[in-house]
Amino acid sequence: MKKGKGIMTATIGLICFVLAYVMFMQFRTVEETNITQIENMRETELSETLASWKEKYQETAEKLEETNLKLQEYKQKRESNQEASELLNKELTQAQTIAGLTDVKGNGIIINYYDEDTEIGKVTNSNLIELVNELRLAGAEAISINDQRIINMSDIININVEGEDFILVNTKRVTSPYTIKAIGDQKYLESALTTKTIGFVTRHPNATLEKRNNIVINKYNGNIKIKYANNAVKEEK
Amino acid sequence: MKKQKTQIAITLGIMCFVLVLGIGIQLRTTQNLVSTAGGTYRENGLRDEVLRWKEQYDRIYENLENAEQQLEKERQVSISSDDNSVEKQEELKKINTYLGLTDVVGEGVIITLRDNTNSMLGIADDIVHDADLREILNELKNNGVEAISINGQRIVPSTAITCAGTVIQVNNEIVGSPFVIKAIGNQNMIDNLTRSGGFIYLLVNKYGLDVKVEKSDKIKIEKYTGVLTNKYITTVE
Repeated sequence: MKKGKGIMTATIGLICFVLAYVMFMQFRTVEETNITQIENMRETELSETLASWKEKYQETAEKLEETNLKLQEYKQKRESNQEASELLNKELTQAQTIAGLTDVKGNGIIINYYDEDTEIGKVTNSNLIELVNELRLAGAEAISINDQRIINMSDIININVEGEDFILVNTKRVTSPYTIKAIGDQKYLESALTTKTIGFVTRHPNATLEKRNNIVINKYNGNIKIKYANNAVKEEK
Repeated sequence: MKKQKTQIAITLGIMCFVLVLGIGIQLRTTQNLVSTAGGTYRENGLRDEVLRWKEQYDRIYENLENAEQQLEKERQVSISSDDNSVEKQEELKKINTYLGLTDVVGEGVIITLRDNTNSMLGIADDIVHDADLREILNELKNNGVEAISINGQRIVPSTAITCAGTVIQVNNEIVGSPFVIKAIGNQNMIDNLTRSGGFIYLLVNKYGLDVKVEKSDKIKIEKYTGVLTNKYITTVE
């Protein structure tokens, strides 16, 4: 009887040891695989980063080609002030176009967005800021809100006068219904804004989107001023 | 004697049950993760590729910078005798500064935001969100600033500030706490920015964020290291 008990204890002890050991091993495996899972999450991130670098590279390559072409043209036309001046005009127009200082046209999307008669249905300046941000992310090259062109330093603010909220874009008052025009890659703009659960138009039932060709977006109605920012002197390498 | 035996049996039974349960749970977890284990391999490849493209990009961007410097010299030579053109060239410089394509220095304010690391609030409120950064930029723009950067990323017309998971991106580049926002403009705007009830006031007093706002006589803001495109917009005459 005594001997039997000893064997039983030993057996049980052994079983417990084996089980505990297996569990321990598994804990380690799980720990390792968890890292893999995190790294795996990074994989999608990595692909996105890769795509964005490729795109930036592509854009820069195109710009380099363009700059070299301009450089050649200037060199060829060095003798003639007239022609050099025309080249400069071209460059200036391009800069003005990107800055929003010219009327532009192109294909894109129009978003109609309006106040709803509920507590949360009223469009706020933050809503519009968010929308502009999403349009920029989707690569919009020109944006306007109720014909106010959105340029680099455009502000979209909320002011409260006697209990009533007003939205000012470029310090000009805008009211519902809001018509937001954006020119860019039409397909990309549409899909980005209507993405399931996260797209702006998907999330806001009081916003609708339509694709339209040959949208005209007016220029910024004002002058840009540079008073405080001086060009930094280039450090020689 | 019999009672004691039963007790031992029950104890052992419970122990076995717990161990088996533990193993069961772990097996299931491991199974779920096995499918993702292949990621690491692909990922290393991806990481290499990202680095390669970034390198390539850096190289071509340097080429572009050189070409642009040459272009500016050539432009100056070509138009030196034409007053009208000199004026236009100044205008071109001004627009490029406004667009964020040049390094600039000037007076202004520096805002530093930090995630609150030892707070009692829920984690949603006490970290810096992409929307917070957008609102602060909007306030700065409202105060007429001429150049802005967030952690060295220059704000240009195509800039989007986004959040993917816990990561904030500006110009598609990851930025993290502390967020240093530099803005060149009239430094007296500081009173406006820190006014009671303003956005920064709310961040500090309602959400417990660590925000520092300071004036500076000389701030340097780096240019945008990317390209602004006008592929989809054409100027309307």
